[in-house]
Amino acid sequence: MTGWVEAIIKIIEWPPLWQLVVLGLIAPLAVVIYILWFERKTAARVQRRIGPYHVSPRIAGGLQLLADLIRYSFQEVIIPKTVDKAAFISAPLIALILSILPVVAIPFTDVPKWFPLPMDYSLILALALVTLSPLFIIVAGWASNNKFAIIGGMREAYLIVSYEIIAILSFLAATAMTGTYNLVDIVHAQTGWKWFIVLNPLAFFTAFVGVLLSTSGFPFEIAESEHEVVAGAFTEYSGLMYGINMGAAYLKRMIYSLLLTVVFLGGWYPLKPGEGFIWGYLAPSIVIFIKATILMMIFSFFRAVYGRYRLDQAIEIAWKILFPLTVIAFGLGLLEAYYGII
Amino acid sequence: MPPRPVEKHVHPRGIFSRFKGNLEAIAIGVKYFFDPKRSTLIYPKEYIKLREGYRGFIVLVKNKCISCSSCARICPAAAMKMVKVPVTDPKTGKQRIKKFPVINYNRCIFCGYCVDVCPTEALYHVPYHDIVYESMEEAVTDLESFQKEPEYKTAKEGLPVRYIVDEVKGLVKIRVKKEGGEKK
Amino acid sequence: MSGIVRGTVGFNDLKLPGAWTRKIGKDLYEVFIGPQHPGSGHMRIIIRVDGDIIVEAEPDMGYVHRTMEKLSEVRTWIKSIPLFERMAIHDACNVTLPYVRAVEKLLGIEAPERAKYLRVLLCEINRIAAFLYGFGIFGVFLGHSTMYMWPFGDREVWVELAEWLTGARLTHTYPVFGGVRRDVPAGFTDALRKAIRYMRRRLEDYRKIFVDNPVIRSRLEGVGYIPRNLAIELGITGPNLRASGVKYDVRMNHPYEVYDQLDFEIPVFQEGDAYARVLQRVEEIKQSLRILEQVADWLDKHERSPILHDRFWKTAPPLYKKVFQEQGRAKLMAVYAILKVPKGKAYERGETARGEISYYVESDGKNTPYRVRIHSASARNALVYKYILPGHRVMDLPAIYGSIDYFPPEADR
Repeated sequence: MTGWVEAIIKIIEWPPLWQLVVLGLIAPLAVVIYILWFERKTAARVQRRIGPYHVSPRIAGGLQLLADLIRYSFQEVIIPKTVDKAAFISAPLIALILSILPVVAIPFTDVPKWFPLPMDYSLILALALVTLSPLFIIVAGWASNNKFAIIGGMREAYLIVSYEIIAILSFLAATAMTGTYNLVDIVHAQTGWKWFIVLNPLAFFTAFVGVLLSTSGFPFEIAESEHEVVAGAFTEYSGLMYGINMGAAYLKRMIYSLLLTVVFLGGWYPLKPGEGFIWGYLAPSIVIFIKATILMMIFSFFRAVYGRYRLDQAIEIAWKILFPLTVIAFGLGLLEAYYGII
Repeated sequence: MPPRPVEKHVHPRGIFSRFKGNLEAIAIGVKYFFDPKRSTLIYPKEYIKLREGYRGFIVLVKNKCISCSSCARICPAAAMKMVKVPVTDPKTGKQRIKKFPVINYNRCIFCGYCVDVCPTEALYHVPYHDIVYESMEEAVTDLESFQKEPEYKTAKEGLPVRYIVDEVKGLVKIRVKKEGGEKK
Repeated sequence: MSGIVRGTVGFNDLKLPGAWTRKIGKDLYEVFIGPQHPGSGHMRIIIRVDGDIIVEAEPDMGYVHRTMEKLSEVRTWIKSIPLFERMAIHDACNVTLPYVRAVEKLLGIEAPERAKYLRVLLCEINRIAAFLYGFGIFGVFLGHSTMYMWPFGDREVWVELAEWLTGARLTHTYPVFGGVRRDVPAGFTDALRKAIRYMRRRLEDYRKIFVDNPVIRSRLEGVGYIPRNLAIELGITGPNLRASGVKYDVRMNHPYEVYDQLDFEIPVFQEGDAYARVLQRVEEIKQSLRILEQVADWLDKHERSPILHDRFWKTAPPLYKKVFQEQGRAKLMAVYAILKVPKGKAYERGETARGEISYYVESDGKNTPYRVRIHSASARNALVYKYILPGHRVMDLPAIYGSIDYFPPEADR
């Protein structure tokens, strides 16, 4: 009997599985569900409403999102006759997979035993994987054979060009500061509250806005802007497929938040990974997730405060303001490394 | 002093206005996040007890009615119709035909013309407005049901509240008694 | 000139309506915005886009046409008042008042002074509520959900006041021939003053979160520029016209009721872009609050006096006068139902929240109108889409649509 239990624990503890399924899918999904609730509740508070309530009045409508999820799951998935079926069905699924895949390159501890992959070039790998999923949003838009979907897909394409370089370059400012692509070393460089958000706030700011841009958060919710293009690339999707599309964007934002936490917010510090599964792996992961959730909450708050920029204005902001700032942030990182502040 | 035109201009954006504008917007958002000042009505746990004078459902006081047909004539939606009813004259004891109004709530727009035009105040509004009919036929009253105040089901389930205008919060909910005046 | 949008195609050539032409290529993308699109009202705008630039726009109205003009010909005079309210249901008093005034002109009567003040009172309450409604729609068009909820919530204050005054939230049916139907209830003016102070406070909040929000300013500045001469040429009215620098307001140029005795300003912005139109409306709300303050003062100073013209009140039985004294409700004489209006033609106009509305009323001496012609503000303002949308980006469409504050039911009648 105990053999079985041990075997199951061993399987769960197996880093690729733990990292990809538990940390990559289940935990972010839980956080995303919480964040969606929080987003609705925040917007409601700022807007002087109550928000989700009647589903479960005792816990302030906490089950509303679960109810929505069930509704989406049981809604009929309509696949119009005119769509390119293979692409139409596969695009959101691939986008979903690709948006959670970067989690394999994010270290949640510094004990090498728990790394799913060698961490030497993890920052580059994570950034490379995180930029893949938007391509499939374009595919989804194109496959839908709907004017609004195509416009939405094109907008996404415009935005990719402008935000990717910002997001990547501002994350790479950390590399400039530490001289390594290894995320574990980057976290180690942040011991003693020398978090990179303090040392290089500019890079954090540009990365933050870059994430907002890339996950179509307000004020850059352009590709899905309801009042011009209905639901952007996802106009023709319904039921669970639509849910997957929407969930993928949030999962992607969650992964970005994890990356931001590791690179700028000191990773698992102030906790120091210790011995064993609990203190060596689980506890640091929880610390990182808590920080990332706080970031997500800040992202969500902007929904209540901002409208959306126009597409060309967003691109203009990206290239004319954020890009120079990113370069400056990169230079700042280099300077700090040169003077040995790190 | 009569109205006069005043030329105005859009204030140009200064160097720091973008920065300041962002901060102000976020600050006001945070302010309302912590102090939402909301006044949402949690219906049907609460319901608004409307003021006297609200133009709600209409009830007939039959013995005041003088069968003048003004109400039916002024009704803009042709909701009110006169029906002929045989009555016994109280003085002479003779049988005769008298006309009384009935109303079709499928058509009624609650303009209140009929109540205002009635020379003897034989019609009056009840101060409630949310009533559910299960069928179209039910919403057409006959003479009997037109004399009864329609059943107000929400009033049995919820707490009555009323909104009063407030300087800081806009509208403030106050509890009122089920019947009659305000409650402290 | 702040009004020129970046990346505009041939915008300077635009001088007169119809003068702007451009060869339409074959590779244009035709997008139908509406009537079921979330970003349109009960109307359709057919746009043809070249890349991200709109090269042609055609507003297609009429989806909520209800034959109001024809319907009014088969109804007695008073029955048309609740009918015309349905044009702009949240601006009911402003929309019906010119009709009532036109019929009063034919009857040769005029409302008593107290009734005039009461009409102005409800008109301005309606105007503020309608502006707030417009702001809400505009806010959500720009993706600003807080600006959607806030004005709709604050509109509730004014709707509540209107309900208290008239007995109905929206379809007040308040002005009738010769006066109004109800006097102010006790304690109304105090609540009104509170609401005025509250609204002033809230306008500051709106400024912070919406009007001065950098995102919103970027979206609106220089977008949807209506030149002064185009505005005059197309006959645009209301805040849209005044935001283009034309000093025209019916309340000022052809004062009705007691507007010429009240102290208020007509703000006129020079810029003519969407942002100027937003500021224009904010300023007009402020002026409406000023008017309301003065009306409240007047009502406090004066005792309850008849609010219907003598023709309908002199012969009123004692019961009517008792009800009026006790409940403030001016009961209608039976003559209203069968009113015959003398032969003649009358034309009246009024300023609604969206601009000038005018009624041409012709009577042939019967108990129904011979003809009622309505020219509503939105019908005029809708034309502007055809001329100002080309040259803008697709994402400017909701910004322009919202800034014009177009209200389809009012345009389609």
